Amino acid sequence: MTRSRQRLISLLVLAAMVVLWQLISLIYTAEVFPGVPMMPGWEKLFTTTFLSMADYFQGGFGIAAVVDGAERSYLAAALAIVQHSFDTLVRLYVGLFVGALVGTLIGLAISWSPWTRRLIDLPVQLLRTLPLLAMVPLFQLWFGTDFSGKVIFVAYGVGVLFVAGTINAVKNVPQIYLDNARTLGADKPTLYRTVILPAIFPELRATILLSLGTAWATVIGAEYLGSQSGLGYILVYAQQFGYVDRMFFIGLLFIGFATISYAIFNNISARMLQWAPRPAAQAQVA
Amino acid sequence: MTQAGISLHNVTRHFIRGDGQPVTAVNGVTLHVPKGEFVCLVGHSGCGKSTVLQMVSGLMPVSSGTISYDSHVVTGPGPERGFVFQKDSVFPWMRVIDNVEYGLKRRGVGAEERRQIALRYLELVGLSHVAHAWPKELSGGMLKRVAIATVFANGADVLMLDEPFAALDYVTKRQLHDVILDLWGDTSANRGRKRTVLFVTHDVDEAMLLADRIIVMHAGQVVDDMRVSADRPRTTDSLAAPDMLAIKHKLLAHLGLERHAGGGAV
Repeated sequence: MTRSRQRLISLLVLAAMVVLWQLISLIYTAEVFPGVPMMPGWEKLFTTTFLSMADYFQGGFGIAAVVDGAERSYLAAALAIVQHSFDTLVRLYVGLFVGALVGTLIGLAISWSPWTRRLIDLPVQLLRTLPLLAMVPLFQLWFGTDFSGKVIFVAYGVGVLFVAGTINAVKNVPQIYLDNARTLGADKPTLYRTVILPAIFPELRATILLSLGTAWATVIGAEYLGSQSGLGYILVYAQQFGYVDRMFFIGLLFIGFATISYAIFNNISARMLQWAPRPAAQAQVA
Repeated sequence: MTQAGISLHNVTRHFIRGDGQPVTAVNGVTLHVPKGEFVCLVGHSGCGKSTVLQMVSGLMPVSSGTISYDSHVVTGPGPERGFVFQKDSVFPWMRVIDNVEYGLKRRGVGAEERRQIALRYLELVGLSHVAHAWPKELSGGMLKRVAIATVFANGADVLMLDEPFAALDYVTKRQLHDVILDLWGDTSANRGRKRTVLFVTHDVDEAMLLADRIIVMHAGQVVDDMRVSADRPRTTDSLAAPDMLAIKHKLLAHLGLERHAGGGAV
């Protein structure tokens, strides 16, 4: 089957899902309260629901906010989505970057020598066992509910994954590459820079993809409690008033942002891994 | 221990096997290889020949005894002792030319100079046309050529090869024998001297084609040390000369493939 044909089928499946959702919303018409259906149809989501986002507009850009007595407008709604998405995305990516960097460094440090392993391994292994989302309240008390508190929480969730992923990937570096580099005159820091880092990247790719999911979960988790902005904040408010349509709308935004993130990452990593051997063809099971 | 070249003095190496049993892989080997000599180490698998090579390279420590190179005791790997491995050692994340430049870069050779050296050795092994390819695009034999070019370009004085061609087909293997002999004979790049070669193999014909001297190991010990004085380049005919056949019979006998050193025994 050609690639374009596969793509066409995927698009058709997506279209079918959209239509199916609309059918369900027409058949199952129960409401949470008058005007807010349990299963909001597309016509609802892109009119009333979208417009209601204006309620969360925090002002600025010379546009009056609803809280200041202004009427709801599509412009204010769009700006609200941009404002809150921006806040969430900045927390997400700063946390992801810090967590990936620190986690990888700790992972490399643990694999540096038997001594560093003895010193760092046990505390990190113990920290790993903590259930992540249960730690949100603790992190808020420790680091506050402002920007740094959320970023540290995301970084912690992501960092733990990277420590484990890095240790594992370093273990799997073929000994022959290390031996080869050593006989060619590489010292230990050079070995890490020129052999271990490139050699672990293909395996770390899986960790990075996994951490994107964890980063979304942790950033929303952090915004759930005591945040004044962000998509998680909208979600909590919508939930308190039973606005199922608004929650569903935020869910769609998540899907959109996550899809873009994965696409960008796949593009970059494919470019960085052009050296990596790929299986010539997919295995045919049946 | 003030001799030039490689000296092993009463070198022993123990292992603890997975079941807890101690194994002596190399048992009291004393050996001297002068500079410029092409030595083949021959023996059964498990006779300790690869272990000797690993210890001379410094990748594996000795249990007791000393190994020295030019009167310096070997304590770890060094760029003056290059190693060509049996398996593929070419870094897949670097283009071919960057692989060949790897050792030179570590020694701080300037970018321009190292590119020239690398290109020269790629030409010597017949790979100029793939200098900028990724290793995944090369065949097994080509990767072996890259590994050889990398070690020679790095200017190693001693070259250790651990059954480098065991996984290659007959034709590729014969071609690479010529490549190795050409590079060994190329004295221009090594201050007018031939380099020293330690070549581990279990292939009797390979050893006779290449070596100045064949050392036979059995159960961790050196059991024979033979000089191969045939002229070079060696041909199918010269390898069939009576004195060469005598060496071959002796080698086969050591490997347990012939009961006696028959034929034209010396």
